[in-house]
Amino acid sequence: MTAFLLLPTLTLLARGLNASFLPTLLSPAVTDTLRVSLWTTGLSVLLTAALVTPVAFLLARFDFRGKAVLETLLDLPVVLPPVVAGLGLLLVFGRTGLLGAPLELAGVSVAFTPAAVVMAQLFTSAPFYLRAARAGFSAVDRDVEQAAQIDGAGRAQVFRFITWPLAFPFLLEGLVLAWARALGEFGATILFAGSLQGRTRTVTLSVYAALESDLGPALVLSAVMVCVAFTVLLVVRSLAARRG
Amino acid sequence: MNHRPTRPPASRARAPRRPSLTGRLLTGLFLPALLLSGGAQAAALTVFAASSLTDAFTEIGRDFDRQTGNRTTFQFAGSQTLRTQLENGARADVFASASDTQFTPLVGKVVAARQVFARNTLTVIVPRGSARVRTLADLTRPGLRIVIAAPGVPAGEYTRQLLAAVDRAGTYGQDYAARFMKNVVSEEPNVRQVALKVQLGEADAAVVYTSDVTPALKARVQAVALPSRFAALTPYPVGVTLDSRSAPQARAFVAYLLSPDGQRTLRKWGFRAAR
Repeated sequence: MTAFLLLPTLTLLARGLNASFLPTLLSPAVTDTLRVSLWTTGLSVLLTAALVTPVAFLLARFDFRGKAVLETLLDLPVVLPPVVAGLGLLLVFGRTGLLGAPLELAGVSVAFTPAAVVMAQLFTSAPFYLRAARAGFSAVDRDVEQAAQIDGAGRAQVFRFITWPLAFPFLLEGLVLAWARALGEFGATILFAGSLQGRTRTVTLSVYAALESDLGPALVLSAVMVCVAFTVLLVVRSLAARRG
Repeated sequence: MNHRPTRPPASRARAPRRPSLTGRLLTGLFLPALLLSGGAQAAALTVFAASSLTDAFTEIGRDFDRQTGNRTTFQFAGSQTLRTQLENGARADVFASASDTQFTPLVGKVVAARQVFARNTLTVIVPRGSARVRTLADLTRPGLRIVIAAPGVPAGEYTRQLLAAVDRAGTYGQDYAARFMKNVVSEEPNVRQVALKVQLGEADAAVVYTSDVTPALKARVQAVALPSRFAALTPYPVGVTLDSRSAPQARAFVAYLLSPDGQRTLRKWGFRAAR
Protein backbone atom coordinates (compact mmCIF):
# COMPACT_ATOMS: atom_id res chain seq x y z
CA MET A 1 0.00 0.00 0.00
CA THR A 2 2.84 2.37 0.85
CA ALA A 3 4.38 1.70 -2.54
CA PHE A 4 1.02 2.23 -4.21
CA LEU A 5 0.74 5.65 -2.60
CA LEU A 6 4.35 6.65 -3.12
CA LEU A 7 5.23 5.35 -6.58
CA PRO A 8 3.07 7.66 -8.72
CA THR A 9 4.29 10.84 -7.00
CA LEU A 10 7.91 9.74 -6.93
CA THR A 11 7.73 8.76 -10.60
CA LEU A 12 6.25 12.17 -11.42
CA LEU A 13 9.18 13.79 -9.61
CA ALA A 14 11.72 11.59 -11.35
CA ARG A 15 10.23 12.15 -14.81
CA GLY A 16 9.61 15.85 -14.24
CA LEU A 17 12.96 16.79 -12.74
CA ASN A 18 15.00 15.94 -15.84
CA ALA A 19 17.53 17.88 -17.85
CA SER A 20 14.90 19.99 -19.58
CA PHE A 21 13.23 20.95 -16.29
CA LEU A 22 14.60 24.50 -16.11
CA PRO A 23 14.15 25.45 -19.78
CA THR A 24 10.60 24.11 -19.71
CA LEU A 25 9.89 25.82 -16.39
CA LEU A 26 11.01 29.12 -17.90
CA SER A 27 9.06 28.72 -21.14
CA PRO A 28 6.27 31.28 -21.60
CA ALA A 29 3.50 28.68 -21.49
CA VAL A 30 4.64 27.45 -18.08
CA THR A 31 5.45 30.84 -16.53
CA ASP A 32 2.11 32.21 -17.78
CA THR A 33 0.23 29.41 -16.17
CA LEU A 34 2.15 29.65 -12.87
CA ARG A 35 1.52 33.41 -12.80
CA VAL A 36 -2.22 32.93 -13.43
CA SER A 37 -2.44 30.25 -10.74
CA LEU A 38 -0.44 32.22 -8.18
CA TRP A 39 -2.38 35.44 -8.41
CA THR A 40 -5.84 33.90 -8.73
CA THR A 41 -5.29 31.56 -5.77
CA GLY A 42 -3.68 34.42 -3.82
CA LEU A 43 -6.69 36.61 -4.39
CA SER A 44 -9.14 33.84 -3.58
CA VAL A 45 -7.28 33.13 -0.31
CA LEU A 46 -7.38 36.82 0.63
CA LEU A 47 -11.10 36.97 -0.12
CA THR A 48 -11.64 33.77 1.83
CA ALA A 49 -9.87 35.16 4.89
CA ALA A 50 -11.67 38.50 4.70
CA LEU A 51 -15.19 37.23 4.01
CA VAL A 52 -15.30 33.86 5.74
CA THR A 53 -13.63 34.68 9.08
CA PRO A 54 -16.58 36.78 10.41
CA VAL A 55 -19.04 34.09 9.31
CA ALA A 56 -16.98 31.40 11.05
CA PHE A 57 -16.82 33.50 14.23
CA LEU A 58 -20.56 34.10 14.28
CA LEU A 59 -21.32 30.43 13.63
CA ALA A 60 -18.97 29.38 16.43
CA ARG A 61 -20.40 31.83 18.95
CA PHE A 62 -24.12 32.09 18.33
CA ASP A 63 -26.86 29.51 18.30
CA PHE A 64 -30.01 29.98 16.31
CA ARG A 65 -32.76 27.92 14.78
CA GLY A 66 -31.66 26.07 11.68
CA LYS A 67 -27.98 26.56 12.43
CA ALA A 68 -27.17 22.90 11.80
CA VAL A 69 -28.91 23.05 8.42
CA LEU A 70 -27.10 26.25 7.48
CA GLU A 71 -23.73 24.79 8.48
CA THR A 72 -24.38 21.68 6.43
CA LEU A 73 -25.38 23.75 3.41
CA LEU A 74 -22.25 25.88 3.74
CA ASP A 75 -20.13 22.72 3.87
CA LEU A 76 -21.76 21.36 0.74
CA PRO A 77 -19.05 22.46 -1.74
CA VAL A 78 -16.53 20.34 0.18
CA VAL A 79 -18.22 17.16 -0.99
CA LEU A 80 -19.77 18.45 -4.21
CA PRO A 81 -17.91 17.33 -7.35
CA PRO A 82 -16.19 20.48 -8.69
CA VAL A 83 -17.70 20.14 -12.14
CA VAL A 84 -21.14 20.25 -10.51
CA ALA A 85 -20.06 23.38 -8.71
CA GLY A 86 -19.00 24.82 -12.07
CA LEU A 87 -22.39 24.10 -13.57
CA GLY A 88 -24.06 25.77 -10.60
CA LEU A 89 -21.87 28.85 -10.97
CA LEU A 90 -22.65 28.93 -14.68
CA LEU A 91 -26.39 28.79 -14.03
CA VAL A 92 -26.14 31.69 -11.60
CA PHE A 93 -23.37 33.88 -13.00
CA GLY A 94 -23.35 32.78 -16.65
CA ARG A 95 -24.49 35.25 -19.27
CA THR A 96 -28.01 33.91 -19.26
CA GLY A 97 -27.86 32.96 -15.57
CA LEU A 98 -29.90 34.05 -12.60
CA LEU A 99 -27.60 36.96 -11.66
CA GLY A 100 -25.52 36.86 -14.82
CA ALA A 101 -28.26 38.25 -17.05
CA PRO A 102 -28.84 41.42 -14.97
CA LEU A 103 -25.08 41.80 -14.54
CA GLU A 104 -24.67 41.54 -18.29
CA LEU A 105 -27.18 44.35 -18.75
CA ALA A 106 -25.13 46.41 -16.32
CA GLY A 107 -22.11 45.78 -18.50
CA VAL A 108 -20.45 43.30 -16.15
CA SER A 109 -19.57 39.97 -17.66
CA VAL A 110 -17.91 37.29 -15.59
CA ALA A 111 -17.55 34.12 -17.67
CA PHE A 112 -14.16 33.57 -19.36
CA THR A 113 -12.47 36.20 -17.18
CA PRO A 114 -9.90 35.70 -14.42
CA ALA A 115 -12.70 36.78 -12.08
CA ALA A 116 -14.50 33.58 -13.03
CA VAL A 117 -11.38 31.58 -12.10
CA VAL A 118 -11.29 33.27 -8.69
CA MET A 119 -15.00 32.64 -8.18
CA ALA A 120 -14.65 28.95 -9.03
CA GLN A 121 -11.75 28.67 -6.58
CA LEU A 122 -13.55 30.63 -3.90
CA PHE A 123 -16.67 28.52 -4.19
CA THR A 124 -14.83 25.21 -3.94
CA SER A 125 -12.17 26.17 -1.37
CA ALA A 126 -13.76 28.63 1.07
CA PRO A 127 -15.76 25.90 2.88
CA PHE A 128 -12.49 24.21 3.87
CA TYR A 129 -11.43 27.38 5.63
CA LEU A 130 -14.88 27.87 7.12
CA ARG A 131 -14.76 24.44 8.76
CA ALA A 132 -11.29 24.99 10.19
CA ALA A 133 -12.00 28.53 11.40
CA ARG A 134 -15.29 27.50 13.00
CA ALA A 135 -13.48 24.73 14.86
CA GLY A 136 -10.77 27.21 15.85
CA PHE A 137 -13.15 29.78 17.32
CA SER A 138 -15.11 27.02 19.08
CA ALA A 139 -11.93 25.67 20.65
CA VAL A 140 -11.11 28.95 22.40
CA ASP A 141 -11.80 28.56 26.13
CA ARG A 142 -14.65 30.89 27.05
CA ASP A 143 -13.40 31.06 30.66
CA VAL A 144 -10.20 32.73 29.51
CA GLU A 145 -12.19 35.34 27.60
CA GLN A 146 -14.43 35.96 30.58
CA ALA A 147 -11.42 36.30 32.87
CA ALA A 148 -10.04 38.98 30.60
CA GLN A 149 -13.39 40.76 30.57
CA ILE A 150 -13.49 40.73 34.38
CA ASP A 151 -10.04 42.23 34.37
CA GLY A 152 -11.50 45.14 32.42
CA ALA A 153 -10.84 44.26 28.78
CA GLY A 154 -13.35 45.55 26.22
CA ARG A 155 -14.93 43.16 23.74
CA ALA A 156 -12.64 44.29 20.97
CA GLN A 157 -9.61 43.85 23.23
CA VAL A 158 -10.75 40.34 24.21
CA PHE A 159 -11.01 39.44 20.54
CA ARG A 160 -7.70 41.05 19.65
CA PHE A 161 -5.60 39.69 22.51
CA ILE A 162 -7.33 36.45 23.52
CA THR A 163 -9.63 34.94 20.88
CA TRP A 164 -7.62 35.82 17.81
CA PRO A 165 -4.21 34.53 18.95
CA LEU A 166 -5.73 31.32 20.31
CA ALA A 167 -7.69 30.59 17.15
CA PHE A 168 -4.96 31.75 14.80
CA PRO A 169 -3.18 28.40 14.18
CA PHE A 170 -6.54 26.88 13.21
CA LEU A 171 -7.25 29.74 10.85
CA LEU A 172 -3.83 29.49 9.26
CA GLU A 173 -4.14 25.75 8.79
CA GLY A 174 -7.58 26.20 7.23
CA LEU A 175 -6.23 28.89 4.96
CA VAL A 176 -3.35 26.70 3.77
CA LEU A 177 -5.77 23.87 3.01
CA ALA A 178 -8.14 26.23 1.20
CA TRP A 179 -5.25 27.56 -0.85
CA ALA A 180 -4.18 24.04 -1.80
CA ARG A 181 -7.72 23.22 -2.82
CA ALA A 182 -7.93 26.40 -4.90
CA LEU A 183 -4.64 25.54 -6.61
CA GLY A 184 -5.95 22.10 -7.56
CA GLU A 185 -9.31 23.39 -8.83
CA PHE A 186 -10.09 22.01 -12.27
CA GLY A 187 -13.70 21.00 -12.93
CA ALA A 188 -15.42 24.24 -12.03
CA THR A 189 -12.73 26.36 -13.68
CA ILE A 190 -12.79 24.67 -17.09
CA LEU A 191 -16.57 24.84 -17.23
CA PHE A 192 -17.05 28.33 -15.87
CA ALA A 193 -13.87 30.20 -16.79
CA GLY A 194 -12.67 28.47 -19.94
CA SER A 195 -9.01 28.04 -20.73
CA LEU A 196 -6.85 30.75 -22.27
CA GLN A 197 -3.09 30.99 -21.83
CA GLY A 198 -1.99 33.88 -19.64
CA ARG A 199 -5.53 34.73 -18.64
CA THR A 200 -7.59 31.86 -17.31
CA ARG A 201 -5.37 28.81 -17.86
CA THR A 202 -4.30 27.67 -14.40
CA VAL A 203 -1.72 24.99 -13.61
CA THR A 204 -4.23 22.14 -13.59
CA LEU A 205 -5.82 23.26 -16.87
CA SER A 206 -2.33 23.56 -18.32
CA VAL A 207 -1.38 20.04 -17.29
CA TYR A 208 -4.53 18.81 -18.97
CA ALA A 209 -3.96 20.85 -22.12
CA ALA A 210 -0.29 19.88 -22.31
CA LEU A 211 -1.10 16.20 -21.92
CA GLU A 212 -2.79 16.36 -25.27
CA SER A 213 0.11 17.63 -27.28
CA ASP A 214 3.42 17.65 -25.46
CA LEU A 215 4.06 15.68 -22.30
CA GLY A 216 7.06 17.88 -21.29
CA PRO A 217 5.28 20.85 -19.70
CA ALA A 218 2.75 18.51 -18.11
CA LEU A 219 5.57 16.60 -16.37
CA VAL A 220 7.32 19.75 -15.20
CA LEU A 221 4.12 21.29 -13.86
CA SER A 222 3.21 18.00 -12.20
CA ALA A 223 6.61 17.87 -10.49
CA VAL A 224 6.09 21.45 -9.30
CA MET A 225 2.68 20.49 -7.95
CA VAL A 226 4.14 17.51 -6.09
CA CYS A 227 6.71 19.81 -4.42
CA VAL A 228 4.02 22.36 -3.58
CA ALA A 229 1.78 19.67 -2.11
CA PHE A 230 4.65 18.37 0.02
CA THR A 231 5.43 21.87 1.31
CA VAL A 232 1.76 22.49 2.09
CA LEU A 233 1.56 19.32 4.14
CA LEU A 234 4.77 20.21 6.02
CA VAL A 235 3.34 23.63 6.86
CA VAL A 236 0.05 22.13 8.02
CA ARG A 237 1.90 19.60 10.19
CA SER A 238 4.06 22.21 11.83
CA LEU A 239 0.99 24.38 12.44
CA ALA A 240 -0.79 21.44 14.00
CA ALA A 241 2.23 20.78 16.20
CA ARG A 242 2.25 24.43 17.36
CA ARG A 243 -1.43 24.21 18.13
CA GLY A 244 -1.11 20.97 20.05
CA MET B 1 -33.63 -0.77 -37.85
CA ASN B 2 -37.19 0.39 -38.24
CA HIS B 3 -37.52 2.19 -34.96
CA ARG B 4 -35.02 4.73 -33.81
CA PRO B 5 -35.74 6.24 -30.44
CA THR B 6 -33.14 8.94 -31.01
CA ARG B 7 -33.85 12.59 -31.55
CA PRO B 8 -35.00 13.02 -35.10
CA PRO B 9 -32.57 14.89 -37.31
CA ALA B 10 -33.79 18.31 -38.24
CA SER B 11 -32.66 18.23 -41.81
CA ARG B 12 -32.95 15.30 -44.14
CA ALA B 13 -35.25 13.58 -41.69
CA ARG B 14 -35.87 9.90 -42.21
CA ALA B 15 -36.51 9.38 -45.88
CA PRO B 16 -40.26 9.02 -46.39
CA ARG B 17 -39.73 5.88 -48.42
CA ARG B 18 -38.11 3.15 -46.44
CA PRO B 19 -35.73 0.67 -48.03
CA SER B 20 -37.63 -2.18 -49.62
CA LEU B 21 -38.41 -5.22 -47.53
CA THR B 22 -36.10 -7.41 -49.56
CA GLY B 23 -33.36 -4.85 -49.19
CA ARG B 24 -33.77 -4.84 -45.47
CA LEU B 25 -33.99 -8.61 -45.31
CA LEU B 26 -30.81 -8.81 -47.31
CA THR B 27 -28.90 -6.48 -45.02
CA GLY B 28 -30.51 -7.99 -41.95
CA LEU B 29 -29.67 -11.56 -42.87
CA PHE B 30 -26.64 -11.41 -45.04
CA LEU B 31 -24.54 -8.71 -43.51
CA PRO B 32 -24.26 -10.44 -40.12
CA ALA B 33 -23.65 -13.72 -41.92
CA LEU B 34 -21.00 -12.04 -43.96
CA LEU B 35 -19.40 -10.42 -40.95
CA LEU B 36 -19.46 -13.60 -38.92
CA SER B 37 -18.24 -15.80 -41.73
CA GLY B 38 -14.63 -14.96 -40.93
CA GLY B 39 -14.91 -17.17 -37.88
CA ALA B 40 -15.62 -14.12 -35.77
CA GLN B 41 -17.69 -14.59 -32.66
CA ALA B 42 -19.57 -11.78 -31.03
CA ALA B 43 -17.17 -9.76 -28.93
CA ALA B 44 -16.88 -6.69 -26.77
CA LEU B 45 -15.38 -3.92 -28.88
CA THR B 46 -13.80 -0.73 -27.59
CA VAL B 47 -13.81 2.13 -30.04
CA PHE B 48 -11.83 5.32 -29.41
CA ALA B 49 -13.48 8.08 -31.41
CA ALA B 50 -13.12 11.83 -31.85
CA SER B 51 -15.60 13.96 -29.88
CA SER B 52 -17.25 15.16 -33.06
CA LEU B 53 -18.34 11.58 -33.77
CA THR B 54 -20.27 11.25 -30.49
CA ASP B 55 -23.81 11.22 -31.88
CA ALA B 56 -23.16 9.45 -35.17
CA PHE B 57 -21.10 6.67 -33.59
CA THR B 58 -23.51 6.15 -30.73
CA GLU B 59 -26.22 5.41 -33.27
CA ILE B 60 -23.92 3.39 -35.52
CA GLY B 61 -22.78 1.35 -32.53
CA ARG B 62 -26.35 0.51 -31.64
CA ASP B 63 -27.17 -0.56 -35.20
CA PHE B 64 -23.94 -2.50 -35.56
CA ASP B 65 -24.49 -4.33 -32.28
CA ARG B 66 -28.04 -5.20 -33.23
CA GLN B 67 -26.90 -6.67 -36.51
CA THR B 68 -23.85 -8.52 -35.31
CA GLY B 69 -24.45 -9.26 -31.64
CA ASN B 70 -21.26 -7.49 -30.59
CA ARG B 71 -21.12 -5.13 -27.65
CA THR B 72 -19.49 -1.92 -28.77
CA THR B 73 -18.48 0.69 -26.23
CA PHE B 74 -17.09 4.08 -27.12
CA GLN B 75 -14.70 6.49 -25.60
CA PHE B 76 -15.20 9.94 -27.03
CA ALA B 77 -12.55 12.62 -26.49
CA GLY B 78 -10.38 14.99 -28.47
CA SER B 79 -8.44 12.95 -31.05
CA GLN B 80 -5.16 14.18 -29.55
CA THR B 81 -6.22 12.90 -26.09
CA LEU B 82 -7.08 9.51 -27.54
CA ARG B 83 -3.78 9.44 -29.40
CA THR B 84 -1.84 10.15 -26.19
CA GLN B 85 -3.78 7.43 -24.41
CA LEU B 86 -3.15 4.91 -27.21
CA GLU B 87 0.54 5.78 -27.31
CA ASN B 88 0.68 5.15 -23.57
CA GLY B 89 -0.82 1.72 -23.80
CA ALA B 90 -4.58 2.24 -23.62
CA ARG B 91 -6.44 -0.74 -25.06
CA ALA B 92 -8.84 -0.16 -27.90
CA ASP B 93 -9.91 -2.12 -30.96
CA VAL B 94 -10.66 0.76 -33.28
CA PHE B 95 -9.39 4.34 -33.44
CA ALA B 96 -11.39 6.92 -35.39
CA SER B 97 -9.72 10.32 -35.53
CA ALA B 98 -10.91 13.72 -36.67
CA SER B 99 -7.61 14.44 -38.37
CA ASP B 100 -4.66 12.82 -40.07
CA THR B 101 -2.26 14.73 -37.81
CA GLN B 102 -3.37 12.64 -34.86
CA PHE B 103 -3.66 9.44 -36.89
CA THR B 104 -0.92 9.05 -39.50
CA PRO B 105 1.92 8.91 -36.92
CA LEU B 106 0.21 5.89 -35.35
CA VAL B 107 -0.05 3.84 -38.56
CA GLY B 108 2.16 0.78 -38.24
CA LYS B 109 2.77 1.45 -34.53
CA VAL B 110 -0.67 1.46 -32.95
CA VAL B 111 -3.12 1.03 -35.81
CA ALA B 112 -2.74 -1.36 -38.71
CA ALA B 113 -3.88 0.81 -41.60
CA ARG B 114 -5.69 4.01 -42.48
CA GLN B 115 -9.06 4.30 -44.18
CA VAL B 116 -11.08 7.47 -44.61
CA PHE B 117 -14.70 6.90 -43.65
CA ALA B 118 -16.13 10.42 -43.60
CA ARG B 119 -15.37 14.06 -44.18
CA ASN B 120 -16.35 17.15 -42.30
CA THR B 121 -16.17 20.88 -42.68
CA LEU B 122 -16.06 23.88 -40.36
CA THR B 123 -18.81 26.33 -39.64
CA VAL B 124 -19.34 29.29 -37.36
CA ILE B 125 -22.15 29.03 -34.82
CA VAL B 126 -23.81 31.83 -32.89
CA PRO B 127 -26.61 31.79 -30.30
CA ARG B 128 -30.03 31.51 -31.96
CA GLY B 129 -31.54 34.91 -32.65
CA SER B 130 -28.22 36.70 -32.30
CA ALA B 131 -27.77 39.40 -34.91
CA ARG B 132 -24.21 40.29 -34.00
CA VAL B 133 -22.55 37.90 -36.44
CA ARG B 134 -23.78 37.60 -40.01
CA THR B 135 -20.55 37.25 -41.95
CA LEU B 136 -16.93 36.39 -41.29
CA ALA B 137 -16.16 40.10 -41.14
CA ASP B 138 -18.30 40.51 -38.00
CA LEU B 139 -16.08 38.10 -36.09
CA THR B 140 -13.35 40.70 -35.71
CA ARG B 141 -15.61 43.31 -34.15
CA PRO B 142 -14.01 44.41 -30.88
CA GLY B 143 -15.65 42.99 -27.78
CA LEU B 144 -17.08 39.89 -29.43
CA ARG B 145 -16.46 36.72 -27.45
CA ILE B 146 -15.28 33.81 -29.55
CA VAL B 147 -14.47 30.29 -28.36
CA ILE B 148 -12.38 27.92 -30.46
CA ALA B 149 -10.63 24.58 -29.95
CA ALA B 150 -7.08 24.59 -28.57
CA PRO B 151 -4.06 24.07 -30.82
CA GLY B 152 -3.42 20.34 -31.20
CA VAL B 153 -7.14 19.59 -31.23
CA PRO B 154 -8.04 18.84 -34.87
CA ALA B 155 -10.86 21.39 -34.92
CA GLY B 156 -8.43 23.91 -33.44
CA GLU B 157 -5.82 23.19 -36.08
CA TYR B 158 -8.38 23.47 -38.89
CA THR B 159 -9.66 26.74 -37.41
CA ARG B 160 -6.16 28.17 -37.56
CA GLN B 161 -5.73 26.92 -41.13
CA LEU B 162 -9.03 28.57 -42.00
CA LEU B 163 -7.83 31.87 -40.51
CA ALA B 164 -4.58 31.61 -42.44
CA ALA B 165 -6.52 31.01 -45.66
CA VAL B 166 -8.74 34.05 -45.02
CA ASP B 167 -5.62 36.09 -44.31
CA ARG B 168 -3.99 34.99 -47.55
CA ALA B 169 -7.10 35.78 -49.57
CA GLY B 170 -7.19 39.26 -48.06
CA THR B 171 -10.97 39.43 -48.50
CA TYR B 172 -11.60 40.65 -44.98
CA GLY B 173 -8.74 43.07 -44.69
CA GLN B 174 -5.34 43.15 -43.09
CA ASP B 175 -4.48 41.03 -40.04
CA TYR B 176 -7.82 39.24 -40.07
CA ALA B 177 -6.41 36.31 -38.11
CA ALA B 178 -4.80 38.55 -35.50
CA ARG B 179 -7.97 40.58 -35.00
CA PHE B 180 -9.98 37.35 -34.78
CA MET B 181 -7.65 35.83 -32.20
CA LYS B 182 -7.92 38.98 -30.08
CA ASN B 183 -11.59 38.11 -29.57
CA VAL B 184 -10.90 34.53 -28.55
CA VAL B 185 -11.77 34.16 -24.86
CA SER B 186 -11.19 30.43 -24.48
CA GLU B 187 -9.42 27.56 -26.21
CA GLU B 188 -11.22 24.36 -25.30
CA PRO B 189 -9.79 20.83 -25.10
CA ASN B 190 -12.37 19.36 -27.48
CA VAL B 191 -14.81 20.57 -30.06
CA ARG B 192 -17.95 19.59 -28.16
CA GLN B 193 -16.87 21.87 -25.30
CA VAL B 194 -16.55 24.65 -27.87
CA ALA B 195 -20.10 24.11 -29.10
CA LEU B 196 -21.36 23.90 -25.51
CA LYS B 197 -20.13 27.41 -24.72
CA VAL B 198 -22.33 28.88 -27.47
CA GLN B 199 -25.21 26.59 -26.56
CA LEU B 200 -25.06 27.95 -23.01
CA GLY B 201 -25.02 31.47 -24.40
CA GLU B 202 -21.64 32.20 -22.81
CA ALA B 203 -19.86 32.87 -26.08
CA ASP B 204 -21.01 35.04 -28.99
CA ALA B 205 -19.53 32.80 -31.64
CA ALA B 206 -17.55 29.60 -32.05
CA VAL B 207 -15.93 27.62 -34.81
CA VAL B 208 -17.04 23.97 -34.89
CA TYR B 209 -17.72 21.25 -37.46
CA THR B 210 -20.99 21.34 -39.38
CA SER B 211 -21.65 17.92 -37.83
CA ASP B 212 -21.55 19.49 -34.35
CA VAL B 213 -24.73 21.39 -35.12
CA THR B 214 -26.81 18.45 -33.93
CA PRO B 215 -30.60 18.53 -33.65
CA ALA B 216 -30.22 19.10 -29.90
CA LEU B 217 -27.96 22.08 -30.55
CA LYS B 218 -30.06 23.53 -33.38
CA ALA B 219 -32.69 24.70 -30.90
CA ARG B 220 -30.11 26.97 -29.27
CA VAL B 221 -27.69 27.99 -32.00
CA GLN B 222 -27.66 28.94 -35.64
CA ALA B 223 -24.90 28.40 -38.16
CA VAL B 224 -23.23 31.10 -40.18
CA ALA B 225 -22.07 29.41 -43.37
CA LEU B 226 -18.47 29.90 -44.41
CA PRO B 227 -17.60 30.80 -48.01
CA SER B 228 -16.96 27.40 -49.60
CA ARG B 229 -13.45 28.35 -50.72
CA PHE B 230 -12.43 28.63 -47.06
CA ALA B 231 -14.40 25.65 -45.79
CA ALA B 232 -12.07 22.79 -46.62
CA LEU B 233 -13.34 19.22 -46.37
CA THR B 234 -11.27 17.41 -43.78
CA PRO B 235 -10.87 13.63 -43.72
CA TYR B 236 -11.71 11.31 -40.81
CA PRO B 237 -9.35 8.32 -40.77
CA VAL B 238 -10.14 5.06 -38.98
CA GLY B 239 -8.12 1.92 -38.31
CA VAL B 240 -8.04 -1.32 -36.33
CA THR B 241 -5.40 -1.35 -33.61
CA LEU B 242 -2.48 -3.77 -33.85
CA ASP B 243 -3.11 -5.21 -30.40
CA SER B 244 -6.87 -5.65 -30.81
CA ARG B 245 -8.05 -8.85 -29.19
CA SER B 246 -11.05 -8.96 -31.51
CA ALA B 247 -9.53 -7.90 -34.80
CA PRO B 248 -12.14 -9.61 -37.03
CA GLN B 249 -15.00 -7.86 -35.23
CA ALA B 250 -13.06 -4.60 -35.25
CA ARG B 251 -12.60 -4.92 -39.01
CA ALA B 252 -16.32 -5.64 -39.29
CA PHE B 253 -17.01 -2.38 -37.47
CA VAL B 254 -14.82 -0.46 -39.90
CA ALA B 255 -16.55 -2.23 -42.80
CA TYR B 256 -19.89 -1.23 -41.33
CA LEU B 257 -18.78 2.42 -41.21
CA LEU B 258 -18.10 2.25 -44.94
CA SER B 259 -21.28 0.30 -45.72
CA PRO B 260 -24.35 2.13 -47.08
CA ASP B 261 -26.02 1.85 -43.66
CA GLY B 262 -23.06 3.35 -41.84
CA GLN B 263 -22.63 6.10 -44.41
CA ARG B 264 -26.34 6.93 -44.19
CA THR B 265 -26.12 7.42 -40.43
CA LEU B 266 -23.00 9.53 -40.79
CA ARG B 267 -24.77 11.71 -43.36
CA LYS B 268 -27.75 12.01 -41.07
CA TRP B 269 -25.46 13.53 -38.42
CA GLY B 270 -23.99 16.05 -40.85
CA PHE B 271 -20.90 14.28 -42.16
CA ARG B 272 -19.99 14.15 -45.83
CA ALA B 273 -19.32 10.99 -47.80
CA ALA B 274 -15.90 9.41 -47.53
CA ARG B 275 -15.25 9.68 -51.23
